[in-house]
Amino acid sequence: MLSSTLILIILSLFLGTGVWLIFIWAVKKGEFDDIEGAKYRMLEDDPPPTRQGDDIDKQSRLP
Amino acid sequence: MSHDSCHHCRLPIPPADAIIDRIDGVELRFCCQGCLSVYRIISGAGLGTYYQKRQLSPSGSQGGTIQDTYDDGYLSGFVLQRHGRGELSFLIEGIRCASCVWLVERYLGSLAGVSEIRVNYGTHRGRIVFDPAAVTPSEIFAAVARLGYTPRPFSYDAARQAEEREQRTTLIRFGTACFLSMQLMGYSLALYAGYFQGIDPASRKLMQYFAALVTTPVVFYSGWPFLGGALRSLRNRTANMDLLIALGVLSAYGASLFALYGGGEVYFDTAAMIVTLILAGRLFEGSARRRAASGVDRLLRLAPEIAHREIGDKTEAVATGSLKIGDILLVRPGERLPVDGTILAGSTEIDEAAVSGEPLPVPRIAGEAVIAGTLNLTASVRVQVTAPAADSFVARVARLVEEAQSRRAPVQRLADRVAAVFVPLVVLVAGATFVYWIWTGGTVDPLLAAVAVLVIACPCALGLATPTAVLVATGASAGRGILFRGGDVLEGTARLTLAAFDKTGTLTEGKPRIAAIRPSAGSEEDLLHLVARAEGGSNHPLARCIVAEARRRGLETGDGEGTRTLPGLGVELGLEEGMLRVGSRRFLRQAGIGGMEPFSAEPLTEIHAALGDRYLGSILCEDTLRPEAADAVARFRRLGIGTAMLTGDTVEAARRIGAQLGIDEVHGALSPADKAEWVKKAMARGERVLMVGDGINDAPALSEADVGCAMAGGTDIALETSDLVLTRPDLMTLVTGIEVARRTLDIIRQNLFWAFAYNILALPLAASGELAPIHAAAAMAASSICVVGNSLRLKNL
Repeated sequence: MLSSTLILIILSLFLGTGVWLIFIWAVKKGEFDDIEGAKYRMLEDDPPPTRQGDDIDKQSRLP
Repeated sequence: MSHDSCHHCRLPIPPADAIIDRIDGVELRFCCQGCLSVYRIISGAGLGTYYQKRQLSPSGSQGGTIQDTYDDGYLSGFVLQRHGRGELSFLIEGIRCASCVWLVERYLGSLAGVSEIRVNYGTHRGRIVFDPAAVTPSEIFAAVARLGYTPRPFSYDAARQAEEREQRTTLIRFGTACFLSMQLMGYSLALYAGYFQGIDPASRKLMQYFAALVTTPVVFYSGWPFLGGALRSLRNRTANMDLLIALGVLSAYGASLFALYGGGEVYFDTAAMIVTLILAGRLFEGSARRRAASGVDRLLRLAPEIAHREIGDKTEAVATGSLKIGDILLVRPGERLPVDGTILAGSTEIDEAAVSGEPLPVPRIAGEAVIAGTLNLTASVRVQVTAPAADSFVARVARLVEEAQSRRAPVQRLADRVAAVFVPLVVLVAGATFVYWIWTGGTVDPLLAAVAVLVIACPCALGLATPTAVLVATGASAGRGILFRGGDVLEGTARLTLAAFDKTGTLTEGKPRIAAIRPSAGSEEDLLHLVARAEGGSNHPLARCIVAEARRRGLETGDGEGTRTLPGLGVELGLEEGMLRVGSRRFLRQAGIGGMEPFSAEPLTEIHAALGDRYLGSILCEDTLRPEAADAVARFRRLGIGTAMLTGDTVEAARRIGAQLGIDEVHGALSPADKAEWVKKAMARGERVLMVGDGINDAPALSEADVGCAMAGGTDIALETSDLVLTRPDLMTLVTGIEVARRTLDIIRQNLFWAFAYNILALPLAASGELAPIHAAAAMAASSICVVGNSLRLKNL
């Protein structure tokens, strides 16, 4: 009884530590620096910004 | 009106704010630069089926011309080299909404050589990674400027890095405390259950050891800010909240460690909960404040870093910082002035809105002084430097702001004052308990009883009392257009006794409006129609107000073709009937036209018109008082708050408006330093001062005052230096804000009472040595629920 409790407790500690490490990694990477943006970005379904051919180039050369 | 809605987003365009573009002779109207730019990009990329082939026309002198203000030599100092790629951070001004961010990201992402671009929605900072061989920093800046936004280089200096690290550390401390407290909750639950139904000693011991294991980092890592604060408070010999928290946490933790070896009940959960809840409270409070970037920095960036100095008959670009008194500069239209100076040759109109809040451009002729950071609108001028960049008007204001901010004592918080009384009291009671049990020598361990007193006296609801009330109040008032920058601002606002207002843009609209149309013959419409034809292409605020009025009446307006602008005077348009002249009294007199009425006594701006040599009449524009201003002043009086007006305008103009609104004290012809000085004196008299303003000239006073309030639409610097921001330009919301603040302070007081009430009930139990963990838990839960529930009442104000 006691040893099974012990195993479960240690298991839960390991699990929690994993999540905690992910949290720290996310904070360090700056994931929480812009908490406003996420709600807008999820609505964008355009392809990621890439060059889109001549028309945009022409735009960028305009005065 | 259907014809006055934005071509891109279909929202109505505020009068006189329209941005007009012409495509194949069709006039398209937009509500903002963002919509215009999106339209341009969509149609430019051939994506818009509605949008036909079109040609671009330059959209007047909006903002500063950034393209040649920053060159690569200067910008390369801001570029970080990483694995052969350049990384540049910059601040983008003019971002108003999510689509602005979208636009900048998409557009820059489409440039050749750009591999990564991210713009932060909250701080408006962009970070771009690019290939230095394919694109240069100045090209990137030019691209942002082309969209109608103003990019500024932004360096991660040491202070800013430290600030960012601090934010992240707090978040990690809180996250760690949360994670460990959740684990702890499991063990505590087992222990509580064991307390009621029995538990075998081995399991109990195991749970207690694990509880000790997870609590230790919470106390010494997550709780470090409190422990450090408590140490400082001991050194200063003033008890504050930190000391009370540290006392409670450490005594609970120490007593539990002792119990772990000596046998008895543990209070690890109490220690961990106090730390976690109080950290949560601090995060709540910090989130409102964090939005503010460094205002002073932005103020200094107003003046361009590059100036064009004349040497012989050539000009060279030099760094603004290297300019000396007596240097001669060339300032072209659309450029901001780099330093203070006097105009040597040429005449122009200067937009001083960023500095003074004055909405109308000011004509400046040779011999007159100009201020760094203001925008040259109409003509090139040669300017002689009168002060080096470090001594310019803007730099002096920035210094005033910095001084005021560093000098201002933080509003002493209610919770701190309570703690200052409470800490010695608790220590006294604990000491008395200890002495009593030694004296009587009963069965109770004197040390344990004394520690139990300390544990129970430091309620964790104390950490929630202020932040929850602040959180609910800031949330509820944000919906009404009032932004409080933190809890101390709410407390400060609740205690105000004197409100000082700036005039232009605060008590008045800051936008000209037509007061009267006075044709010398014929109808009002005829005159308005002719004037609007001449003014149609102009970006001058007076012209825009006339054009907006003409449109409102359904009259046709001109497109600016064939008109000639004479800076500071007016415009000319050649018609078949003769030369149409619209402009100042002086302008018409110079053209040999008479018949103007004498000056009126009212403080109105006059626009006169003549066709050929026939005088047509005049249009009078005024900066109107806000419709709610008089009501708001009366409401202030009813709240027991005195009113004052501080303005840079003439004393007579100030008196007239003051009398109209019923303001108690009126002061005119004040410089920014005078305003700050006045506020300081009022505060020395013991008044708690609210300053309301919108311009750079108000910035020192805003940061000097107990509470500085800026209105949306004011200059960025005013918004940054203020504690309280009204997102709608409506003075009545300020009155509401004060009422909310007063109500919040009441709630905080009640919260503090409830936080202590239950714990004080449990205090005799602790002193008598009868305290069981279940008593501590019950007292804590009851006070926390009362505090949170009480705070939620603020929601339905």
